[in-house]
Formats: sequence, structure tokens, C-alpha cells
Amino acid sequence: MLPLCSRVLLSHPFSPMSLMALREQLNMLVNSMYIEGLLDQQFQQLQMLQDASSPGFVAEVINLFCEDAERILTELTKDQAVVDFQKVDAYVHQLKGSSSSVGAQNVKLACIQFRQFCEENNKDGCLNALNVVKHHYYLLRNKFDTMLQLEQRIQAYDSKQQN
Amino acid sequence: MSAGSNYASSKLESDRVPDKFPVGMKVLLVDDDLTCLAVVKRMLLNCQYDVTTCSEATRALSLLRENKGAFDLIISDVHMPDMDGFRLLELVGLEMDLPVIMMSGDTRFNVVMKGVSHGACDFLTKPVRMEELQNIWQHVVRRKWLDSKEIERSGSVEEADRGRQVTDDSEYASTVNDGIDCSWKYQKNKRDAKEEDDNELDNIDPSSSKKPRVVWSVELHQQFVNAVNQLGIDKAVPKRILELMNVPGLTRENVASHLQKFRLYLKRLSGVAQHHTGLNSSLYGASSNAKVGQLGRFDFQALAVSGQISPETLAALQDELLGHPPCNLAMPTIDQPVLQQASVQRNNSVTFERGIAFGQPLLKGQAVSSFPVWPANDLGALGSASNLGGLNTSQNSNMLMTMLQQPQPQTVPSESNHAINVQRSCLVAPAKSSNKFQVQGNPMHINQDSTIISQSSANFQAGNAVVPVIQDSAVVASHSSTSMKTGSNLFVTNHRSTILPSQSLTGISLGNDSGLLNQGSIIVPSQPLNSSQAGSNSILSSQNSMVVPSHLSGSSRTDKNIIPITHNSNLNNSSSLVNYNRLPTQSNVMPSSMKQVLDNLAAVDSFSVPVSMNSQVLSSTGSSTSWQLHSPDISISHPNGTHSLVPSSCNIEATDRLLAKLPDKGLGKNLGFVGKGTCLPSRFAVDDIESPTNDLTNSSAYTGDDGYLQNQDIFGISGAVQSGHCATTSFK
Repeated sequence: MLPLCSRVLLSHPFSPMSLMALREQLNMLVNSMYIEGLLDQQFQQLQMLQDASSPGFVAEVINLFCEDAERILTELTKDQAVVDFQKVDAYVHQLKGSSSSVGAQNVKLACIQFRQFCEENNKDGCLNALNVVKHHYYLLRNKFDTMLQLEQRIQAYDSKQQN
Repeated sequence: MSAGSNYASSKLESDRVPDKFPVGMKVLLVDDDLTCLAVVKRMLLNCQYDVTTCSEATRALSLLRENKGAFDLIISDVHMPDMDGFRLLELVGLEMDLPVIMMSGDTRFNVVMKGVSHGACDFLTKPVRMEELQNIWQHVVRRKWLDSKEIERSGSVEEADRGRQVTDDSEYASTVNDGIDCSWKYQKNKRDAKEEDDNELDNIDPSSSKKPRVVWSVELHQQFVNAVNQLGIDKAVPKRILELMNVPGLTRENVASHLQKFRLYLKRLSGVAQHHTGLNSSLYGASSNAKVGQLGRFDFQALAVSGQISPETLAALQDELLGHPPCNLAMPTIDQPVLQQASVQRNNSVTFERGIAFGQPLLKGQAVSSFPVWPANDLGALGSASNLGGLNTSQNSNMLMTMLQQPQPQTVPSESNHAINVQRSCLVAPAKSSNKFQVQGNPMHINQDSTIISQSSANFQAGNAVVPVIQDSAVVASHSSTSMKTGSNLFVTNHRSTILPSQSLTGISLGNDSGLLNQGSIIVPSQPLNSSQAGSNSILSSQNSMVVPSHLSGSSRTDKNIIPITHNSNLNNSSSLVNYNRLPTQSNVMPSSMKQVLDNLAAVDSFSVPVSMNSQVLSSTGSSTSWQLHSPDISISHPNGTHSLVPSSCNIEATDRLLAKLPDKGLGKNLGFVGKGTCLPSRFAVDDIESPTNDLTNSSAYTGDDGYLQNQDIFGISGAVQSGHCATTSFK
């Protein structure tokens, strides 16, 4: 769930928060994510790629990532009784790839550890690692949600202002 | 697949507006990871490229095939569910010859190395950064330049090309599929790549119908080789080859994969050749000779014989053969000895340069003099096999040919006959004196690098000595005046043996010196009659070695290469002719398979044969069997420049004089034959020279001794050898 303050803020679409305040909030959020290791330099690249010609770029990438990640996690969560290490490794490799492309650092690192366990054919290690990955992913996912909402509001504000 | 741009967008700017390039460069991006796909696509768009994305490799491949020319560059992920990225890479390289950049989150050394070995022009680590993508246009430009240079040079003189090839290879290394510079890794990687490629070709497009495998027949291969020659081996691109070949139903993919194998083969040859240069010692060392699967060779031969050598097989075989430097020892040397023999001078006159791929001059330096003297050629004598203990002229006795190997041959005096099995680098040197080494019937199995040198004059009478020399042995028949007579000296040297019939004045009577050298063997029938014929006797057979009956009289070839077909420069019709083809009738052989083999040889090996080779082999007498090689000149200049292809169309007429004349246009050098399996001449009619009748030759050369002939593979004739006595080789 979103933190309380965010909920309060966001629950009032026409709250007096100014555009600048929104932007500031977004920046703070993103910065905290960098500091906490949820995001890395790659995310900065994404931010730089977003411009006038592709205003929804970051949102697009985040959405793609989340879809992919959830699909993979669902697969990994299935059938935990018998572990097919190669298959699991392949999935984790995919998740690692997409998380690195979006800049999801903690998730990526958790995937790397997960792959270690796969290589060692360590079932328990794999199950644990899966939980760690999920933990990091959902944390990130929440923050991304907030981020995207802020961004939407900012953009709505902008367009509102233009109108 | 989302199209970031349309296909119809601007062509590569470099064609017309240089300063606009790389704007609009068309990139195909392939990755199953949608997140990454979106990110990289955005980056590419920001670099002002035209981007098309595809999340499935198979879809990408069909896109590429359907729209040739629609893309300038491909960027592909390594790990994809439907097709391995490396496989896609190879296919693209073969079929479309476009630059491919690989991407992966896995940057371990072996992964990157695999990319290199499969022909990727670059490797990016995920997550990809914008800066890395900004300069990817260089790969397109580089490839375009290479292509345009190819076009320019396609018509250039072959020799010139050949001469440049070695350097060219290194220049173009980075972008060409076969441009793997690391020779040490080359073999392995290429082999892997080749194997994969083979598999891939079979399942080229899993999602669509499978294409029937194209069998590269001799004729087809010949056309291919001609086309490649025309373009220059290094610059031959599948599409152009296809155009030149103009064969309906042949696809670019077929050509591309064939070309790849061909290139591999050439590279191996050149690699091998390089190895030889100092390999002399290895003869004795014999270390790995064994490696090359002899059996494999034989198989190969069998294949060759069948006339249908699939390029892969050939390549593989070649690879094996050539890939083992030690093995090569024997071969190259043959050149030397041969030449030496050939030259009257006997002493080192030969400058062998390694004409043969294998290059190693066996006899370098050795005094030529040490060559055993073969019993005068009288083939008749040989025929008589008198000395030879059991040599029956009619049979191919095995002659041990001793090769003088490097400086000092270690001689193990062995007097004849006995079957000498030289295994591994033994040097058998029959006494120097005149004893003859008679090998009679001794099958000399020289395994691995043995060198047998028989010195003494007159011995080796082999007339029929069939020396199956296997593996890199060099057999040098003495040179004595009668030397090898052989006619039948067949040298069946498999693998790289070089047999030099002695040089004696009488030259090898070669005739039969046919050296069937398989695999690189070179048989150089000595020069008969005093001439140092250079070279002509060499039979080079690479892979199906060639026997070059030398001829006689004095031509001296020094070229190091043994001419696969005798280069008779002087053919003077004089007596000295060595008739290679002695096979007259008997051999006739050239059985079609031989022919095919030859063709294959020629084709495959792309050696450059002096164009004029086609020479006609001459045979003065008419005879009947002429071995005809078709396709004359196959010349593919071998990277070393030294190989000459036996012109496939050489007709070697068996008639008594084998004169295979190679019009040596100075090419002398090329001798390389690398033919697989063709063994020509084993019977070079050495006998002829001496005595027209020699029928010794007939016998000598391979007749008979099938056993030795080994060789079927040697001769590449499957069985033909036996039947025809070597049909190939001896052209009687």
C-alpha cells in the first residue's frame, strides 16, 4: 500500500499541490529509490530517453517490466515440489535481463543469487531465493506505482495548464 | 513486432549522401525480452536509426529472408527461447552476410568468444547504454567497404589475388565469418561452428518447411569453385557466387554454407602450410599423427570416390588432415624431394616452397644425392621385380620410399623388402648404397611421419612398390638413376606422404611414381631421364594426392609445388616422358569416380592450378586412358598461393606419357593439389619412359596391390584402384 502521505495526497486529484510540489515529490521518490538500491544507473538512462517525442517512455518500460516479471514469478511459484533447475534458471535469467534493462537493481541482484542456487541444484536455496526476489519485486512495484501516478498527475497538470 | 520504422525508409545513406549516414541506418533488433527490446529500441531511435523490432528469432529470420536489403545491421540477444542467438548469427552471416551484433547479460569469456567465433562483429553487455549504440554504424560501413573491394577485385588476376590473400585474410578478419584469427582456437571453433552449421542447415527454419539438403556434386562444386575463383576467394560473397553460378534452384543459403566450409578448408590449408615450415622435426616426432583419423581419411576417400563429396565432409576431412600439423609433415616435404629429384641437380635444386599445402619440404637439404637410386628405371626391370624380392611389378609393391627428411635422415637401413612399417616418424633409410630397397611387396606402411629414404641406387624398385605411406611419410625414393622406377611407385601415401621417386636419371620412371598421395601426398615421380624434372613428377595429391609424374627431362620445376599434374614443362616428348597415364587401358581409370574425385579435389581445394593447367596431360601415345579431369583449372588460389589445383580438366592421358602438363604459367608453384582423393597418377607412367611397355607399370602402380592402394582412399577411387590398378594413379 502506498504510504499514508501519498495516499492522502493522491486522493485529492485537485488538491492544491502545485505542479512544482508534485515534481518535487516525484524526485524525492526516485532519489530514495536510488539510495535504497531499488534503482540503478540504468534507470537514469531511461529517464534521459524520455523526452518530448516519447513522453510515456518510462511508463511504458515499467509496465512491460512488471508484466514480464509477474508472469515469470507466477511460473516460478508453480510446482515447487519438483524443481527443474534448468527451466528455473532460464526464467530467472530472463527476469534478470529485464530487471537490468529497467534498472531494477535489487531485483537483479536477487536474481543473480537465485541463479547461483540453481547452478548448485540447491532446491531450498532456490525456494528461498524466490522469496527474496518476490520481496524485492513487490517493493519495487509499489514504488513504481506511486511514481507513475505522480507522473500522470504531473502530466495531467501540465496539459491542464496548457488548455 | 513493432516497427519503429518502415522498411521503405531510406536506404543506407552511405550510398549516396555520406554525411547523412548513419542517420536512417536500418537496424533489426531481436530479443525475446520485451523490456529490453523497448529500451534498446528507444535508444536506437534516439541515435536516429531506423529500427525494427522482433521478439522471436525465427520471425526475424523470415523477415530477413523476405526482405533482402531491408536491413543494414542486426542486433540480437544471445538467449532466446526459440532459437539460439548464435545460431541466428551464423545463419545471417551465411545467408545475408549482414553485420550482427550480439547482446547479452552474460558476459563470460566463453560466451563472448562464442560470439566472435560465430562471426559476430560486436558484443554488447546488457543493459546496453546509449553510448555503445551510437557507434554501431561502423560495422555496416566496414562491411560495405569489404564488399566493394571484393567487387573491384573480383576480376583481378588470380595470382595477384592469391598473393594477397594471406594478408587479406588477416585484414578482413573481423567482419568475415571465417575471419577468426586465432588459429589456435580456430580449429576447434570452426569445427564447432561447422557442426552447428550442419545441424542448422538441416533445420534451417524450424517453423517452415525444411529444405532438402543440397548435395554438392562435383559439377556443382566445380561451378562454385569457378565462381569463387572469379571473385577471388577472399572476396567471394554468397550472393555473387550464386549469380555467377547461375544454377536454378540453388539458394543463397546453400551457397553461403558451402562457402563457409570452403573457406574453412582453405584456412586450414594455409594454417597447415604455415605449420609446416618448421615441422620438419615433427616428422620424427610423430606426435600426433595418429590423430588424424586415418580411417577418417579413408572414409573420406570413399566418399570422394563416390564422387559426391559433400563439402562438409571434405572440409572435415581436410580439416583433419590439415589440421594436424604434424601430420602435415609429410606432405610438404614431398615437394621438396620431388623437386629435388626432379631437378637434375639433385641437389637441392628444388626450391620447394611448399607448394603443397603441406608444405613441408621433406627433403630439404638433404642431399639429394642421398636419394636412393632407384634402379634404373627400367621398368622392365621393375617389372621383373627381380630385385625386388617380391616385387612384382605387377603388383604394386610397396615401396618404401624414403624420404629424406630434413637434414639428416635418420636412416634405418633396412634393406628391402620387408615390409616396413614405419610407424611414427621413423625414418627408414635403406642403405645408401645400392642396395635396393626393394620393397617389394613390402607394404610400407609408414605410419605417421615416417620417412623412408632409400638411398641407393636402384632400388626401390618398386616398380610397384607401392608404398603406402600413411600419414605423412615421406618416401623418397632414392635417386639413383634408376630410381624409382616405378612406375609403379605408387605411393600411396595417404595422408600426406610424399613420395618422391627418385630422381635418377632415369628418372623415376615414373611413371608411376604416382604418388598417390592421398591426402596431400605428393608423388613426384622422379624425373626420369636425367632431367631433373622438376617437379613434374610431383604428384600432388592432396588429399587425393596427386601424382605428378615428372617428366622428364629437365624441366625443373622448382616450384615447390608439386604439380599435381605434372608439369611438364618440357615435356619433351622425349623419352622422358613420363607417362603418367600409363594407365592405358588398364587404368583407364580414371574411373569416373576418379574424375569426380578429381573434380572434387579440384574443387575443393581450390588450389590454384595454373590456369593453364588444363593442360593437357599429355600423353603422347595415345592412349587410351586419358584421364581427364574436367574442368580445367580450377584455380583457386590458395591462400598460400602455392597450391595449385589440379585442373580438373586436366586430362591426363594415360597414354604413355603422362605428361600432365601443366601449363605452368609460372605457377609452378602451385602444386598443391589438394585433391581429395584423386590420386592421380599413381602410376605415372614412369615406365613408359623407359620402356614403353612397361607394363610394369601396369603392374606397378597399383595394380595389384590393392592392399596398398590403400588406398582407396588414396586414390580416391573407391575400389577403382583395385580394379584398375590404381586407376588413378597410374595412368598407364
